[in-house]
Amino acid sequence: MQIDHRELNEVRSAQGKEKVQAPGLSIGVRQLIKRFGERQVLHGLDLDIAAGEFIAIVGRSGCGKSTLLRLLAGLDTASSGGILLDGQPAEVLKDDVRMMFQDARLLPWRTVIQNIAIGLDGSQREIRERALEVLGQVGLADRADEWPSRLSGGQRQRVALARALIHRPRLLLLDEPLGALDALTRIEMQRLIESIWKQHRFTALLVTHDVSEAVALGDRIVLVEDGRITLDEAVALARPREHGEALFAQRESRVLKRLMTVEAINNRNQIRGRISEIVVDSVLSEVRILTASGLVTSTVLTRSLSEQPLEIGAEVLATFKSNEVVLAT
Amino acid sequence: MSQKSTLLNRLRGALIPWLLPVAILAAWEIAARVGWLSSRILPEPFAVLKAGVALAATGELWQHVKVSSLRALTGFAIGGGLGLLLGLLTGSFRKVEIALDTTLQMIRNIPPLALIPLVILWFGIDEMAKLFLISLGVFFSVYINTFHGIRSVDPALIEMGRSYGLTGWSLYREVILPGALASILVGVRYALGFMWVILIVAETISAQAGIGYMTMNAREFLQTDVVLLGILLYAVLGKLADVAARLLERHWLKWNNSYSAA
Repeated sequence: MQIDHRELNEVRSAQGKEKVQAPGLSIGVRQLIKRFGERQVLHGLDLDIAAGEFIAIVGRSGCGKSTLLRLLAGLDTASSGGILLDGQPAEVLKDDVRMMFQDARLLPWRTVIQNIAIGLDGSQREIRERALEVLGQVGLADRADEWPSRLSGGQRQRVALARALIHRPRLLLLDEPLGALDALTRIEMQRLIESIWKQHRFTALLVTHDVSEAVALGDRIVLVEDGRITLDEAVALARPREHGEALFAQRESRVLKRLMTVEAINNRNQIRGRISEIVVDSVLSEVRILTASGLVTSTVLTRSLSEQPLEIGAEVLATFKSNEVVLAT
Repeated sequence: MSQKSTLLNRLRGALIPWLLPVAILAAWEIAARVGWLSSRILPEPFAVLKAGVALAATGELWQHVKVSSLRALTGFAIGGGLGLLLGLLTGSFRKVEIALDTTLQMIRNIPPLALIPLVILWFGIDEMAKLFLISLGVFFSVYINTFHGIRSVDPALIEMGRSYGLTGWSLYREVILPGALASILVGVRYALGFMWVILIVAETISAQAGIGYMTMNAREFLQTDVVLLGILLYAVLGKLADVAARLLERHWLKWNNSYSAA
């Protein structure tokens, strides 16, 4: 394995900066713990990722998935435990890791092409050539000299992707980069990321709260719950995966259900009961749930009710936020 | 057809703001000529113009404008330069902020003009005194806005820069300075305005040349037209400085939608 890499590196240096792609990095996460003051976010997390794999990490907000990514990117340091990239401490290969953030984080005072060239050394002409090449890969070659403020949200993320790609990363970290995009643009971007990943064969880690995105892109889906991995399963569907397909939908609903069950294990701020009545209105509907301690009324968006229909008599779990609880005497 | 009408519209748009000033000038001229206004109180605009032409012809006017402008710009360069430097230092390094900022904030609360008696004692009524006052007046608006600008650079962008391999000076040049520039320029613009205010006061105390000297001299001889000319010159110079600052904003902040030319 080691020898293979060395040979490849020799080939790379022999051909200058030719198109030989660096293979993906393998990742080993061992007993990773991260605390922010009193609060512990990661509780001894273990994770192994093979070189070139595409991992989708799902979980509720605040579960620690973004923290894991930031630790991998070297943006934060772990409280204890370690991260190995290709068997070496993470700092050694820091330059082979690139991150795509939730917002594009383009410098507004630099043009698109200057943003992509950030942190690169070399002659102006060579940099421009390479920047134009990656811009072409994300389909924005004609916008090279514009200001980022003239671009749409999806286009900005494309530029951010190009900015990461120009460094030929061996590990690309994606921290919910598509979260703020509309549904159509999001699917477009998923296709783009997938095709670029196929072409470059880097290791990819995508954090997302969208299960269907995880199923569309991940070789494996990893569920992080309360700072631990509670589900890690391979997705053996052929690529490109169609959102409408039966197998796709089946997988998606399984992961979703699992996500819900894990939630149910947490017994704080929850009341179990049976739906007794559903009052449908144009925007907000009311679902009345009969519980052991009386009738509970939950207000639900009519839209989400039509997406996930409920039936009278079904057993449900009503959860409420801790900050909505008022204790009266 | 449509092109013609847009041209007309633009012409109209450019002219309308000037209607009122022209009307006021006309009314003033008439009032002075008819004799409602004594020329000792307020000479008619035409007389001011004539005084200007006469002084310009002898070269005296340019001499005074030159002296005043040089004075203002030198003071601005010293005070603004120091403000920028210290603002960058306190903005970038916590330790410098802790060491310096409290002192500077205390000094800031003293109006520079309140220092005039002290300044005269220190420097006499020489050029030094005027430069000191102008530098001091200009210093704080540049300092505070630079400090604030550096501190309000989006930390997400700094983090991005770091994770893309920018460190030290390159991070400063690519991310922090451009991010602070809008705020720094606000400080510069404000400082330019204040620069003229201080200059006027400093020149009326005592001067051997400059616009202030010219007007104070003219007052002794009851040449109200020259006094008025001096006031107008200050206004024009102030406006010019503002236009220059605006051009800088437009050039350096052209990436920002709110500054780019329409």
